[in-house]
Amino acid sequence: MTQDTNGALRETVHAIHRYIGENLYFSRPDLEIRGKKFNAALLLSLLTGLRQGKALIIGEPGLGKTTSAEYICSLLYGLPLGTVWASEVSGHPEQTEEKIIGRPDLGRLNQGEEVVVWSHFVLLPAKIVDEINRLPETKQSMILDGVDRGNWEYLNDAVINSEYCLFATANYQDGGTHTIIAPLIDRFDVMVESKHPGPNLAFHIGMGGSNGTGLRNEAMETELHRVLNQRIPYKDRMDQVEELSNRFGEAVERELGVRTLSRPDRETIRSGMNEIPLDVDTNAFLRLVLAELSFCSHYGQRRFHEGCAEGCHFTSYLCNTVRNCISNRFPSSTRALSQALAWFMGDKQVGLEHVKAILPFTLAHRIQWKEETLARREKESRRDPLPIYMAREAVREMHRRYIEQADRLKSALAIACRISDGEPLEPVEGDHPIYWEIRRDLGEEVLDS
Amino acid sequence: MKNPFWDFRSVPAQRREIPLDRIVRAREETLDRIVQGYLQLVEEEVRDLVWLAEESKVERAYNAAVRSVGGLEYDADDIDEFCALLDSSSKIPYLISGPAGIYISALVNRAEDDRIVLCPKDYERSFHFLGYKLPEGKTLVLQGDVGDFTGAGLFGGCLLVEGSVGNWCGAGMMKGEIRVAGDAGQNTGEWMRGGEIHVDGTIQGVGTKFYGNTGYRVLFGGKIYQKGKLLVSRALVKGADQVSKGQP
Repeated sequence: MTQDTNGALRETVHAIHRYIGENLYFSRPDLEIRGKKFNAALLLSLLTGLRQGKALIIGEPGLGKTTSAEYICSLLYGLPLGTVWASEVSGHPEQTEEKIIGRPDLGRLNQGEEVVVWSHFVLLPAKIVDEINRLPETKQSMILDGVDRGNWEYLNDAVINSEYCLFATANYQDGGTHTIIAPLIDRFDVMVESKHPGPNLAFHIGMGGSNGTGLRNEAMETELHRVLNQRIPYKDRMDQVEELSNRFGEAVERELGVRTLSRPDRETIRSGMNEIPLDVDTNAFLRLVLAELSFCSHYGQRRFHEGCAEGCHFTSYLCNTVRNCISNRFPSSTRALSQALAWFMGDKQVGLEHVKAILPFTLAHRIQWKEETLARREKESRRDPLPIYMAREAVREMHRRYIEQADRLKSALAIACRISDGEPLEPVEGDHPIYWEIRRDLGEEVLDS
Repeated sequence: MKNPFWDFRSVPAQRREIPLDRIVRAREETLDRIVQGYLQLVEEEVRDLVWLAEESKVERAYNAAVRSVGGLEYDADDIDEFCALLDSSSKIPYLISGPAGIYISALVNRAEDDRIVLCPKDYERSFHFLGYKLPEGKTLVLQGDVGDFTGAGLFGGCLLVEGSVGNWCGAGMMKGEIRVAGDAGQNTGEWMRGGEIHVDGTIQGVGTKFYGNTGYRVLFGGKIYQKGKLLVSRALVKGADQVSKGQP
């Protein structure tokens, strides 16, 4: 893989992003990174699709949550829109494993054979679960492994997706929605809101300005349907799907002037993203964030069922306002999406600007705030839904704290590195939880003072 | 376990040392300078590695030692460490008991500590001239047996020996006090001009013994006690003037 290859692919991705923004998903910019303005839902969905991630898109009904995901799946994975629609899973209380994952081949079952007919949702690399929070909690567990690892099981058979991304949409709480269970929601890399585009763009949408019919291709959809329904090994089916995707891509490029990505393109992009290192500040800042979201001086770590100890003096840090402990999926999501953003912007390193832009969306659905904190802030003036707003504010606070002590923290980490290598140095002390955690990692159990 | 801070291996950091390390390093530096001073003294004063305890040589060696330690900052522990080093270390290629003792005495006399305790019982070798010219206001405690000329030229200090001393203990002392818990050798208090020597054990000989002319002891002043009893004082000195003229 060369820089030229990645540069050309970056241009292709920019063209896809531009095409969707200008023709399919009209939206206002609500995210600024180094002077460039983006719509967070579109950008993060695009990066999630490239990164093989999982995005939870929230919002009011009819504001483009599902359609934006469909366009992205279609263009990034070279799938006609009809095929994407056909593979979507709808969340509703009567949903069954047989409709989501697979069912027995009834003809073969009559002959005494157990053969699984896998759903297109399972087979295709681009997956969409529409209205996931209409699935009752008990049924959400059915898709846990699949969402997490692309590992789908039915009867005694299994499919493990070698490449996949997943978009799930969720409406705000109403009479028909359920809470998304914590293990499932934690598996999403990002949560982003598909916002109302404003009256002027909405008027334009209403007048038929947004039209995705160019991504339909009935002949190709029929052919893909046939291939996906074949009773041949998963890999062989996917090879044929890839061939058809490439043909669809050629047709789209010819008719719409935008190129879709092939599987090797996506692999090259992912490889390019993986090679982008985090700079030292980003590395140190993320450690500070992780410390604030997991630290408890009294009980060792945050736990959902435990509050704060009386008299704890760490009142100005996030540990004091959150209930749960941040999961290990969080840094993984943040790294992956920050690398994707740096790649998208043509940067050679992941810097603080990238990670600051990504963090609110990797944190929003993972932080469970204390009720008093929520009550205190829910009426504040804002442009984001409360969880994203609070995550954005939390990131702003933590970033300020980092800037105040960046040199000290980097020194502390550098000295900790030398101590770990056996040098007789003294750890740097500080009041922030990260300094306490460094000392714990150096084998020193620090008790509350 | 993987070093979780490895990403920061090349990040410049102001190293914060454990205070003990800083103290140890400072002590090592001080000790090195003390050793260098001693080696320089030996080189200047004992070129042929033979040294005679003549008054002029002793005086010159002491003055050189005082000059050598003049700029050093050290304490009683450094002196003790140096003694241990002299006794056993390969850092110091030759130990000559006289100059070594004079150098130690210079260190003791110039130290800021008023009370210094050395532990000759821990040393395999014996040092001479310990407590040489010990000045007023200083107390030197020597735990164990010591060599010759202990407390020689004592100058008002208090020398406590928790063991036995060799010959010429307190020789030429001017003032001050020497207390020996064990025995003392020959020529104890020779040429002493003042002060007191208390020996709890046995004194083999006091002052200068003239063979064939028994009973003459050369003291110009001071008192010597044995087992609490005054053995000799200025009043008991016989023929001091004669002897002082006739003897070196």
